Amino acid sequence: MATVTFDGTTRYYAGNPTPAVDTLDLEVADGEFLVLVGPSGCGKSTTLRMLAGLEGIDGGAIRIGERDVTNLPPKERDIAMVFQNYALYPHMTVADNIGFHLKIAKMPKEERVKRVREAAALLDLEQYLERKPAKLSGGQRQRVAMGRAIVRRPQVFCMDEPLSNLDAKLRVQTRTQIASLQRRLGVTTIYVTHDQTEAMTMGDRVAVLRDGILQQCDTPIGLFSRPANVFVAGFIGSPGMNLIPAAVSGESATVGGMSIPLTPAQRAALTSDRVVVGIRPEGWSIGSSGVSAVVEVVEELGSDQYLYCSADIPHVEVAESAEEREAPHAFTVRAPGMSGWHRGDKLALTPQAGAVHFFDAATGDRLPD
Amino acid sequence: MSAPESAPETRVRREHRTPPRKPRPAPTARGFSPLRIVGMAFVWLFTALNVVILYWLVTAAFKTPIEIFNKPFHLPYTWFERGDPFRNLRYAWENAGFGNAFLVTVALVAVSSVVIVAVAAPAAYALTRLGVRGSNPMTNFFAIGMGIPFQTLVIPLFIGMADLGLTNNLFGMFLVYVALSLPFTVFLLTGFFKSLPDELEEAAAIDGASPFRTFFTVMLPLARGGLITALILNAIGLWNETLLAIVFLTDNANFTLARALFTLYGAASYQSEYGGLIAGVAIVVLPMLVMYILLARRIITGLTLGAGK
Ligand SMILES: Nc1ncnc2c1ncn2[C@@H]1O[C@H](COP(=O)(O)OP(=O)(O)O)[C@@H](O)[C@H]1O
Ligand SMILES: [Mg+2]
Repeated sequence: MATVTFDGTTRYYAGNPTPAVDTLDLEVADGEFLVLVGPSGCGKSTTLRMLAGLEGIDGGAIRIGERDVTNLPPKERDIAMVFQNYALYPHMTVADNIGFHLKIAKMPKEERVKRVREAAALLDLEQYLERKPAKLSGGQRQRVAMGRAIVRRPQVFCMDEPLSNLDAKLRVQTRTQIASLQRRLGVTTIYVTHDQTEAMTMGDRVAVLRDGILQQCDTPIGLFSRPANVFVAGFIGSPGMNLIPAAVSGESATVGGMSIPLTPAQRAALTSDRVVVGIRPEGWSIGSSGVSAVVEVVEELGSDQYLYCSADIPHVEVAESAEEREAPHAFTVRAPGMSGWHRGDKLALTPQAGAVHFFDAATGDRLPD
Repeated sequence: MSAPESAPETRVRREHRTPPRKPRPAPTARGFSPLRIVGMAFVWLFTALNVVILYWLVTAAFKTPIEIFNKPFHLPYTWFERGDPFRNLRYAWENAGFGNAFLVTVALVAVSSVVIVAVAAPAAYALTRLGVRGSNPMTNFFAIGMGIPFQTLVIPLFIGMADLGLTNNLFGMFLVYVALSLPFTVFLLTGFFKSLPDELEEAAAIDGASPFRTFFTVMLPLARGGLITALILNAIGLWNETLLAIVFLTDNANFTLARALFTLYGAASYQSEYGGLIAGVAIVVLPMLVMYILLARRIITGLTLGAGK
């Protein structure tokens, strides 16, 4: 077991002057489950592949434990990797797939068979050991890929979106299985996903990347309750946080005719007179006075109800691409499930106490609480 | 969702039905477009023509010359009536020295095809997979080799081989065959190796396999379809190869089937033994035809694999 340290790690791709991963500083503790999350193309896979030795490192270093592995080939790093498409050897049986590394490492046959059996038992794969991957379901293939990793008992697991090829239900089940397996084995794990729900439910800590730059690394609760900037605030949580640009006059910001006070520390840290006010859907109270909004879409989940509302105030979009944006609504408000709101209903909204986040509109950074 | 009360009715409908003999095609595939009609007509014509030729060849191998010319599409009867139906085949076999030529051809074709693939596979792997510097120009260079008709090379090749004392020599023939078949084979196999996923190699690297081991235990088994296709195509091509055999081989003992057939052509037409000549053609052609029919599916999937997926 070991820690993993990224020390100013940087990666360029040919023909692109901006690095895919830019001076990444990250410490992963021994046995920790760290999730790398961010939108597609932000450099998660590149980060993981640098750690695995599949990608060169143009600047900085990577250490596993005390060892500097920056220039070591993959096989000398003592890491195992689970690929997005599993990368099972199609011409080998499940047993041979799982045991391939041990065979290369010249482990005696009896011990190898025993280790493969143990791994298979752990993953409920015993009856499939003699099958070829083509004859397995998606979930079984995914488990074989896991088996190939855990049979090695490596210092570090690398997983690159290992659940993205499973259907939604299986993904939720497997998510908890992987997390509990990792805790049982206690192997340091770096897990890549673009799905913030997966990140928040699985990780001990979650590192949010954007355009190759680390935005914040914190526990799920930390990320959710104290997002470091506008990007993290919008990325973490589903539906996303409502982000409303507002002008500051005196000691308070004005949102839709309602003034929300800033603390002196916040006022002092502000670099201009504009802030972004962040309020999560569950942070609103529906009452008789406050910001007025009109319900446009009601999303009934049974336990909760999300009201997508339009209002006469501007809002900030964090997601760059059109398909990542949920809808061009000013507001998302959570109401209790089956509350009976309908399209066209008028709401008056006030933020609940302690539910307001302030960000500097110029820098995007969080203002101190 | 059907309402509960309609369920029994549905069950009755389910019980009283027979599955279609052939599931209906998608609406887009149905109907006859002019292109489809022309295409179908062309394919069937082409097939019919080939079947007729094959029929003619096989029946003529059992006919007397008079039958061949007067009743080209009749079934053979003269030799059958005389109680010696295989007379033509015997004539060809004995006069052309096919016995020895058969052994020579099988050995030469087998060794050449295997060596061609054994040389071309690592070359194609290196060109597509190892990130060798200048691999793209080199691949193109091989492709250019494919574009040069080997007929233009026959004379310089012959002079070169003669200087080395390798004419009228099966080893020399083997070298020529391997050299001339490499461009196509390398090109075919680069397509194959390109179609294999990168992740497998990366997985092998993480599992600790050396490039050498990755090639032999992971990539080669996966490219098996491609290797077999390359092997079959080369075998068929070399089996039928005549021009080079005529130029390079002068000694009866070294004759390949195609070369021996050429000699038989001279002798049989002189003796007006057309039945025997055609029997000789059948002896040379049919083994490859049978092999091709048996392996057709394999070859086609092999040839198209590089393109799709
Ligand atoms: N082999 C490559 N060559 C050039 N650019 C690449 C290569 N791989 C990734 N990139 C670029 O680097 C950035 C980060 O990619 P990646 O790490 O795969 O993102 P993620 O896994 O977060 O979706 C992207 O902009 C991508 O286009
Ligand atoms: Mg990725």
